[in-house]
Amino acid sequence: MIICPYCGNENREGILFCDNCGQGLTDASSGTTLPTRQLEQMPNELSARATWGTASIGQKSSIVIHFRETDDPVTVQLKDKTVIGRSDSTSVRKPDVDLTPHGALEKGVSRMHASIERNEDTLTLVDLGSSNGTHLNGQRLAPDQPRVLRDGDEIRFGKLVAHIYFK
Amino acid sequence: MAIKFDPYAILGIAPEATVDEIKQAYRRIARRLHPDVNPRYEGAKEQFQDVTAAYELLLDPVHRKNYDQQAPNALKPDDYYFNLQVTPSKRTIIPLKEPQVIYLLAEIFPDPRAQENMSKRETRLNLTLVLDHSNSMKGVRMEKVKVAAHQIIDNLSSDDILSVVSFNDRATTVIGATSVDDKPALKAKVSMIAPSGGTEIYQGLSEGVKQNGKFLGPKLVNHVILLTDGHTYGDQDNCLQLATQANKDGINISAMGLGNDWNDKFLDDLVSKTGGSSVYIDSASAVVSYLNDHVRSLTNAFAERLMLSIAPDPDVQMELAFKLSPHPQPLDHTTGIIPLGSMQAHRPVSVLFQLQLPGEMKDGFRSVARIASSGDILENSKQFMQIVSDISLEVTEEHTNDEPPPGILDALSKLTLYRLQDRAQEALERGDVAEATRRLENLATRLLERGEEALANQALLEARRVAHTNGLSDKGRMTLKYQTRHLLLNESSGDQS
Repeated sequence: MIICPYCGNENREGILFCDNCGQGLTDASSGTTLPTRQLEQMPNELSARATWGTASIGQKSSIVIHFRETDDPVTVQLKDKTVIGRSDSTSVRKPDVDLTPHGALEKGVSRMHASIERNEDTLTLVDLGSSNGTHLNGQRLAPDQPRVLRDGDEIRFGKLVAHIYFK
Repeated sequence: MAIKFDPYAILGIAPEATVDEIKQAYRRIARRLHPDVNPRYEGAKEQFQDVTAAYELLLDPVHRKNYDQQAPNALKPDDYYFNLQVTPSKRTIIPLKEPQVIYLLAEIFPDPRAQENMSKRETRLNLTLVLDHSNSMKGVRMEKVKVAAHQIIDNLSSDDILSVVSFNDRATTVIGATSVDDKPALKAKVSMIAPSGGTEIYQGLSEGVKQNGKFLGPKLVNHVILLTDGHTYGDQDNCLQLATQANKDGINISAMGLGNDWNDKFLDDLVSKTGGSSVYIDSASAVVSYLNDHVRSLTNAFAERLMLSIAPDPDVQMELAFKLSPHPQPLDHTTGIIPLGSMQAHRPVSVLFQLQLPGEMKDGFRSVARIASSGDILENSKQFMQIVSDISLEVTEEHTNDEPPPGILDALSKLTLYRLQDRAQEALERGDVAEATRRLENLATRLLERGEEALANQALLEARRVAHTNGLSDKGRMTLKYQTRHLLLNESSGDQS
């Protein structure tokens, strides 16, 4: 079921323009959205190093993300589910962590790329079916398969490399 | 039943296939097309007949050997061909409890060699003009029609056949089917047509089809053009039957409606029986260029009697069929047999289908529909050619991000506009003024988004008119219908990415 963002009509799956009002229902048909760029090749120099920090986040409520090519780290207040991605002027849902200032578009980050989920005292990383994949310490994640995160892990969203540290 | 085309191609097997492989291929198709499992669509029935004929031929060792030695139906290397390409809106679908929708874009491409060689040859026309000369044609309309007919006569050659029929309540054969030799005499006859009486299309059309049938030939483009400015009463069904029969005989019918007072829905139905096109001509002075352009496009014909048959699988439902190119035209989607008329050497013919897939589909690959396209290629010695495409999709839980192909998106974005006005009119016919108004307002919004300001204003104007008078103006109705249809024409062939 696809609910039209314009008129609220319930359309069957697969319908591309709302049956009721003609509004485009896919990212490409609704006009100005930039589709996620398909990267031709994953460069080798982005290969990861494995680190073995703690998996326990304890009672801490935030993590810090360092990006390889930019200086300023980002502190993220964790929710039960924190979505990481690229915001787009026309998207209905916005990610909790917007990577646009870190070159998300050029680096092939999807609008809903991955999420970090809070469990009892661990964090898990889940790829949300992104176009160019999510890599954890160099290993590509299967979509929708949670993996436990450790302090200091390297995460790659498309071609954008980041390290996370538990605060 | 005689087999008209390559039996191996019809069954989708190699020429060296074993008897077991032939049987397997047949059973696989029979499970989908047999009238016992797939009784809804004529297209399935027709395809099944072809498949059965091919199967029976190949299973008989003597017949098969004879066929293999002569291969009378196979394409020779120098023969022209056409290609059928079917693109689905998605290649993988997620299994759902509820039904879902998929679009198929079927495109028939003419042989690229034909386009290069086109200038060297001239297609021979067997053209019939059926001209309304009822009282309402009096004055400038009649004069412009005569000017157009004169120009057409000037542009025809002595290899072409022309007949002209005029009609009001009765039909008059102005020019009986003849080769175009004595042009001044033919033009003089056209000049004699004088307006009087009412409009009975069947009278004129049946005489026109009769005249055209006199020179009916497989090497000719057999085409009847009907030009009218009025409503016909009580003889619509006869006209539709006539068109169905004309299509079987290989005659194509196109229609031109002049002014605002003619029955557009009827003419749409009429021409769709033969794969012809219908146009709305709002001013008399435009008649000349419309008619001439249309006749010119006929001389570019590469293939005639083009047909598309679609057989959705037994659990798949067809919801819409629309011809996008060369002339946008709504099609009858209830039978699965779709006449497409003639194909020009430089333009593909494309049709968009909307299908509903059932709920509760199992994971894995599954077939959706079988589409066959056939037609007569004018230049080939063995003219008939058929090409089959089987469409399968993968049903899988795995999430994929593929966007629908741009060709489908582009066509649908425009077709959506046409359907909005169509639904507004349906709502009006039901007497649902509120819904008609809402649809027209939505149409105006979408048109504005596309930058079609003039048409958007027209839609808004009509929305207001509906709210006050419970009806559209004739001119507004025609304009919205044919202009939104016309939008489909733009760039529709440029999207080959």
